[in-house]
Amino acid sequence: MPPVRREEAGIMTVFVCRDSLEGILCGVYDAWTSRLGHANVALEVEGRGNLRMFCEYRQVEEGEEKTEKVVRSIRKKAGQEAYEMVFRAALSREEEKADRIYRFLIYALNYKGDITGMLQIPAVYELFHMNRNVGNEAHLLIEFARFSQTREGVLLCTVGPKNDVIILMAPHFADRLSMENWIIYDQGRKKAIVHKAGAGWMVVQTETEEWKNRLEAGSDQKEFEELWKTFHTTIAIKERTNYVCQRGHLPLRFRPYMTEFQ
Amino acid sequence: MLIQEQMGIQEKLAILSDAAKYDVSCTSSGVDRKGKKGMLGNAVSAGLCHSFAADGRCISLLKILFTNQCIYDCRYCINRRSNDVVRTAFTPDEVCTLTMEFYRRNYIEGLFLSSGILHSPDYTMELIWQTLYKLRREFRFNGYIHVKAIPGADPVLIEQVGFLADRMSVNLELPTAQGLKALAPAKSRSRILAPMRQIQRGIQVRRTEVVPYERGKRFVPAGQSTQMIVGATPENDYQMIKVAEALYQNYDLKRVFYSAFVRVNDDSCLPVLPGGPPLLREHRLYQADWLMRFYGFGAEELLTESKPHFNVLLDPKCDWALRHLELFPVEINRAEYHRIVRVPGIGVKSAKRIMEARRGTALDFGDLKKLGVVLKRAMYFITCKGRMMYPVKVDQDFITSQLVGVERQKVWDIGTSDSYRQLSMFDDGWLSPAPTGEDFFGAVSGQM
Repeated sequence: MPPVRREEAGIMTVFVCRDSLEGILCGVYDAWTSRLGHANVALEVEGRGNLRMFCEYRQVEEGEEKTEKVVRSIRKKAGQEAYEMVFRAALSREEEKADRIYRFLIYALNYKGDITGMLQIPAVYELFHMNRNVGNEAHLLIEFARFSQTREGVLLCTVGPKNDVIILMAPHFADRLSMENWIIYDQGRKKAIVHKAGAGWMVVQTETEEWKNRLEAGSDQKEFEELWKTFHTTIAIKERTNYVCQRGHLPLRFRPYMTEFQ
Repeated sequence: MLIQEQMGIQEKLAILSDAAKYDVSCTSSGVDRKGKKGMLGNAVSAGLCHSFAADGRCISLLKILFTNQCIYDCRYCINRRSNDVVRTAFTPDEVCTLTMEFYRRNYIEGLFLSSGILHSPDYTMELIWQTLYKLRREFRFNGYIHVKAIPGADPVLIEQVGFLADRMSVNLELPTAQGLKALAPAKSRSRILAPMRQIQRGIQVRRTEVVPYERGKRFVPAGQSTQMIVGATPENDYQMIKVAEALYQNYDLKRVFYSAFVRVNDDSCLPVLPGGPPLLREHRLYQADWLMRFYGFGAEELLTESKPHFNVLLDPKCDWALRHLELFPVEINRAEYHRIVRVPGIGVKSAKRIMEARRGTALDFGDLKKLGVVLKRAMYFITCKGRMMYPVKVDQDFITSQLVGVERQKVWDIGTSDSYRQLSMFDDGWLSPAPTGEDFFGAVSGQM
């Protein structure tokens, strides 16, 4: 009996990549160039999801060159909008995001023309769905983020988003509060955006003790927080009280981080 | 009148925000402006809502009155001259500090400054101008400012304020001249419309200039808005939306706001509304307003003189579609945009998505759901590839009864928040408590 080829036996090869845009794009590169066939490969993000039987796991080797190649071809063949969608989808909290991005790129890189609006294709819809979810959360957090001033005069904002969105919040605040020193801190992922007055911003990992003390310093100027709470109470019209409507617009999960609900 | 000197800023804020809360417009939309070096803030044209109050309305701007002292005696207003309420006023510095410090902490998107009329319209307008000038030039604030133009103020003052603000508004308050005469005897329609016209001209002049007269200086870039009170006077819905339509067409308004009347003063001229503010009516007016601005409907299509009120059980778009069944069903894969967007259950966003998606392949009902179409409303009015979703009769009575079932719960939620409810034998959305021993006894003895 001739030996059965692995692909024919239906054995999947799973490429395991790091949870970042670079990691996923390198995963896409490796899976694509492995020449095993799109149906026989899958992508998975490290440390997420369960292990599967009857597959072979391969660790993705990251490299700047690979990332650049993939980014270049997405931009060239699928367009800037598709690239932005992939960028945002990579920040999603979905377990299957890496594989979904891969499935989307199979369509996007082979289709002539703009594919981002063709939601009847399942792969496109799934990417659109993740992209929308991330975009919406980033938008809400831009609105609901609350800064408090620490003793050092730095504005500090703590958030607890589901998706990794602080990087999408940064450009907005860098433009708006350009002459301030501020930090946006993601409590769940232990990382922060740090902005220096009149200069740029960067992402910082904040697992060290020093950062912990700094981030838990608390606010220095209670006066304006009290004023804001007063305003928030008096601006409501009693005859129209409608907590269901309020919850619809401002879900409870944001409130622990907001001054007026503390 | 009680005028208290030496009041703390906390008390002032409480009084003057409480007095401003009946002003509805709290949008921060209409202008995109990048941040500037050395200044605080920018503006986003879609607008941002930073919080929501207990009544579910958004808080986007720091909405305050400059002062709640007023020379007028409008019947509906809490700050009218004859009311015995504590009066106070901010100083320009206080307003500036509050705005800046709130803005830095991302509490607000900007300032909404209105005011009672102190001494005279000119005097008040000048105070407002001083405040805005200070905020823009001294405090270097680059965020959003919405300001009221005071009817009767000098046009020169209004123009100067317009160069500092993003949006201006003059409240129409009541849709007809008679209503205004009855409830706000000191105001007149012509005096309200004059500054509105002036602002419109100012914006137009700025837009048509070949070379801008002073670079970077823009006049009311986010346009103007107004507000009407719903339910204080006997005007019907048809009159309201006719007025709104006229304002959009003749005065280039960005928004008309509707404010359900809240009876804050015990006055014989004001109606008593036992069911609370007319929230459902306000809701229907906003729905119609959206239909006029984004869906290409005219006021005449939605209501007519012989049918001047909105349907309580159906939203205006469904109501219109049911009266025009000859235009349906619409074929999703073929029809033009303006026909698709008129289908109930399809909004501007989903209509645009349909236009984009159908270029690839023909769409089916499953795809429409993904695109965000509300099929439980849309399915009576559309076909995909020549077929309807279910073999339903295109019959007015049948579709109405189906749609009313969908809508009834919503109407109930809006119309009656936190009040008792009429007993109904056929409404199973609401469970009644199990009968008690006394009920059984009453039923047996015949004393219900």
